[in-house]
Amino acid sequence: MSADLKEGLEAYLTALWGAPAAVTNLSRIPGGASRETYRLDADIGGVTRGMILRRDPPGSLIDTDRRLEFLAYRTVHGHVPAPQAIALEETGGALERPFFLMERIDGGVVPSPFVFDPYGQHAEALGREFFTTLGRLAALDHAGTPLSEVAPAPAAQDCWRVALDHWSAVIEADEQHPQPIVRAAIRWLARHPPPPAQRVSIVHGDYRTGNFLHDGAGKILAILDWEMAHLGDPLEDLGWAFDPLWNHFDEGKVGGMVPRETAIALWEAASGLKVDPAALEWWSLFNAVKGQAIWTSAAKEYRDGGFTDPVLAISGWYTARRQDQILAARLARLEAI
Amino acid sequence: MTPALPDILRGNFLSLAIPAPVESQGEFMTGRVGVIALLSLLAAQEAERGTTARIWENAAIGAMLAEAADAYGPQYAEVAEVAAIEAVDLSLEGLDRANAALRRGLIALQEAVESAGDTARWKAINGLYAEMAERRKLELPPLPAR
Repeated sequence: MSADLKEGLEAYLTALWGAPAAVTNLSRIPGGASRETYRLDADIGGVTRGMILRRDPPGSLIDTDRRLEFLAYRTVHGHVPAPQAIALEETGGALERPFFLMERIDGGVVPSPFVFDPYGQHAEALGREFFTTLGRLAALDHAGTPLSEVAPAPAAQDCWRVALDHWSAVIEADEQHPQPIVRAAIRWLARHPPPPAQRVSIVHGDYRTGNFLHDGAGKILAILDWEMAHLGDPLEDLGWAFDPLWNHFDEGKVGGMVPRETAIALWEAASGLKVDPAALEWWSLFNAVKGQAIWTSAAKEYRDGGFTDPVLAISGWYTARRQDQILAARLARLEAI
Repeated sequence: MTPALPDILRGNFLSLAIPAPVESQGEFMTGRVGVIALLSLLAAQEAERGTTARIWENAAIGAMLAEAADAYGPQYAEVAEVAAIEAVDLSLEGLDRANAALRRGLIALQEAVESAGDTARWKAINGLYAEMAERRKLELPPLPAR
């Protein structure tokens, strides 16, 4: 076990709780490409607490604010399945890079988004819970929540513009080879804005298969990876969850779980909102742009990081090419310039 | 396209050659090796088809630009001509260099087409995008969940 990391954690937890803390079973785990993720046990005063450490890496899939992620967990815990956030250290201090700690939820699995039929006979039950949970998130009042301290609330009519400007700028900054397909999509989206958001809600930002923990028997234990949480149009999350990238080789089901119509009905029932098909189409194309922006950043980080993170490689290479296929297919269906 | 095939293969070597700290050698390294294996499989596809896809794409974009020159200006034909000269270098790097020039020309052309309201050519370019993406695709095998 790395003495630096273990000792740094013990020193931090001892100071945090004012009692000697011992760290055991420290182990890095896959996933969470934007931060290093570790599992650990912290023994304090004879009590063992299972924890997850999320530490900023030298290079990452996306640049995100760990304070925002921390506050997102604080906000949604108790409203949707999510672990409780424990402590945030923004200066790095004990661990050299900024990090935060949260409670660990044991006994679950998180399948890769790129495997075949990961949910088996539990796909429908998980899909029903997954889209109902997303609807509940859309219904949650963000006013006065911890997240609202750091996440600006756009006006309903500006949600699309804020989102599109943000991800367009990422492509502009990180592109290493000209990308005509995504640029054509960006221009189309700007020429054809969607209707204003029905409600400005908490948007998870990366709500998809592969970002939730389930118990292997049809129950979701936790929605994970809140680093891209923000306030915006809740259709953004629905469009991202529907992206064909996440369908597990099953074109008849979103997220490899339930048919699209079922997902929409569940989301509507839980959110109290209606899905405008034209608006969802806009947000679906937008999400393909957003995806390509993320993969473009991954490719740049892979290069800047000396080609040593294979997760960045797969994101910046395979996923980028698949996203181009999705974008091009959507563009080919458009009738009006 | 980035990263390039040599980047991927060099990266696979580095990812395995650099010793991982002890706390990263269990579940994390198992997952990492799985991703490296997948990258190697996709690299084989790229080695097999990448040159052909680039040669086709460069020729197709060049033809689109040349065809548009009469209506949208000779600069598009010039881009196609310059890129055709550069594309004599059939290395992936050489083809990508020509491809970058052609793609920049295609972006400029489609912007001009949109300004002109030329729906037919706009759709033709979108159709070209679909074929470009199809020919560049990497095929992920349907791996079973663990």
